[in-house]
Amino acid sequence: MGGSARTWRVAAMVCATGLLLNGPVAAQTSGDPNPGAITLTGSMDVSNAYLFRGIPQDDTGLILWPAADLGLMLKSGSGTVRSITVNVGMWNSLHTGITGADGPNGKLWYESDFWTSVGVGLPGHVNVSATYTAYTSPNGAFPSVKEVSLRASSGVRGTNAYALVAFELEGQADGGAVEGRYLELGAAPSLGLGGLTVAVPVKVGLSLDGYYEGLRGDERFGFFSVGGSVTVPLSNERSRFGRWNVHGGADYVRLGDSNALRLGENTKVIISGGLGLSY
Amino acid sequence: MVATAALMVTLAGRQVCAQEADPNPGALTMTGNVDFLNRYMFRGIRQNSTGVVIWPSFDLGIAAFSGTGGLKSTTINVGTWNSLHTGDTGQEGPSGKLWYESDFYATLGLGFGGGVSLGTTYTAYTSPNNGFTTVKEIMFKLGVDDSGKLGKAAVKPYVIYAFEIDTAPGTGQADGGANAGKYLELGVSPGYSHSKFSLAVPIKVGLSAGDYYELAGTDHKFGYLSIAGIVTVPLGGTTNLGAWNVHFGGEYQQLGDTTKSFNGGEGSQFIGSVGVGFSY
Repeated sequence: MGGSARTWRVAAMVCATGLLLNGPVAAQTSGDPNPGAITLTGSMDVSNAYLFRGIPQDDTGLILWPAADLGLMLKSGSGTVRSITVNVGMWNSLHTGITGADGPNGKLWYESDFWTSVGVGLPGHVNVSATYTAYTSPNGAFPSVKEVSLRASSGVRGTNAYALVAFELEGQADGGAVEGRYLELGAAPSLGLGGLTVAVPVKVGLSLDGYYEGLRGDERFGFFSVGGSVTVPLSNERSRFGRWNVHGGADYVRLGDSNALRLGENTKVIISGGLGLSY
Repeated sequence: MVATAALMVTLAGRQVCAQEADPNPGALTMTGNVDFLNRYMFRGIRQNSTGVVIWPSFDLGIAAFSGTGGLKSTTINVGTWNSLHTGDTGQEGPSGKLWYESDFYATLGLGFGGGVSLGTTYTAYTSPNNGFTTVKEIMFKLGVDDSGKLGKAAVKPYVIYAFEIDTAPGTGQADGGANAGKYLELGVSPGYSHSKFSLAVPIKVGLSAGDYYELAGTDHKFGYLSIAGIVTVPLGGTTNLGAWNVHFGGEYQQLGDTTKSFNGGEGSQFIGSVGVGFSY
């Protein structure tokens, strides 16, 4: 159930990195290696805990998040509609702990999400997008959840502020009685420091209706998190193999009552790191 | 399907005017497909008997090395291949879940002079809807692209040797048998290219090199013989969005004793397919 986990992670394929970036073919092209209209991003991250929008999934063992996204730029230019993009992607969560390899069925693959998204770029660095996501569990840990979400974001002054509204169509993240509606407000101000990028993501997750159902009914407040991340580039923009990076960070999460009850504590520190690719 | 193809034509046509140069001169290549079939036979072993089968797949290729010595090229591929079933082993089956199979693979490919290539692939065949237990396999493929010597008469012969690892009786094996299997495949893929379409006629035979086609404790050497015809029609040439195509084909499989048993006693099977693909 990993939408929030992929917000600042761009990476992939650990085994290939050393060979690609240090071998003889780390030669650079004379220009952009990929001037076309298709973009690939990928990531492979490792974490100590996985909370989906504040809802605890697992904090035992190791958690791996391989992901890939393919973006198609259908239109770009000036005018009111600056760009139109279509994205399809996949995000996965592999658990060595009690909901994965050490769990009842002994299977590592806890979650596999598929999404498709249409995004429109507007003047003023404003973007709006609509996304359909199917959250599935290959090891049968939870029933599939299908969701439509709308997101508006602004890159003004590097704040990367956004608002996201999601509607569950089928299945429920909280396993409650009714399909939920979710609101997330956040920002991820970032700063370049000597070749590194430092970001401070902040977000709050709220139930608009039935998203965080607990013993006392639906609870408005789901979670608040603040974190810090550092991204170190491993290649420059003209590498034939795309832009690779290594990144790491930590998030402090404060949970609402129903999520705290599930976790057994009302705060959690999530540490993660990994490799990223953008091409 | 028709709507998807029409969209691709529109997208490709819109972009072709914008840029005719190679949209992706870098070292990474992406390919993807979505295919629709009436039947899924894995190396002759039937995987469904009702409904529609959908195969979405994606591959990322990395051209890690190219040179002029004995070793001409080194490539790394990673990818995912999936099989979604609406019928008896998917949505209408015991689990009620569509996603029957999800495979992950990684390949190291070496290219030599004379069109000779050697690929070593690790594949994990998994079943999200618990249709079968995970099968892990290492495969070697030795192929020859003889089109440089034979031109249009090229047959592109190849041989595959694969063996299953991390198995137990009834677990981690394509045949669900008692022992880990070893598989041998011999094939050719002659073809014909025209400016508006291409035709491939792959022919292959799948054999057990040891316990690959077990039936009631007996391994049967002959798994299947396959003859297929695949027509690929490009959609608008190479554009900013890569090269898209629509393809369709038919395949006839003659089955051995074990695969015939798995096919409900039917000794042959016809498979029809249609799909959309892209390369970027």
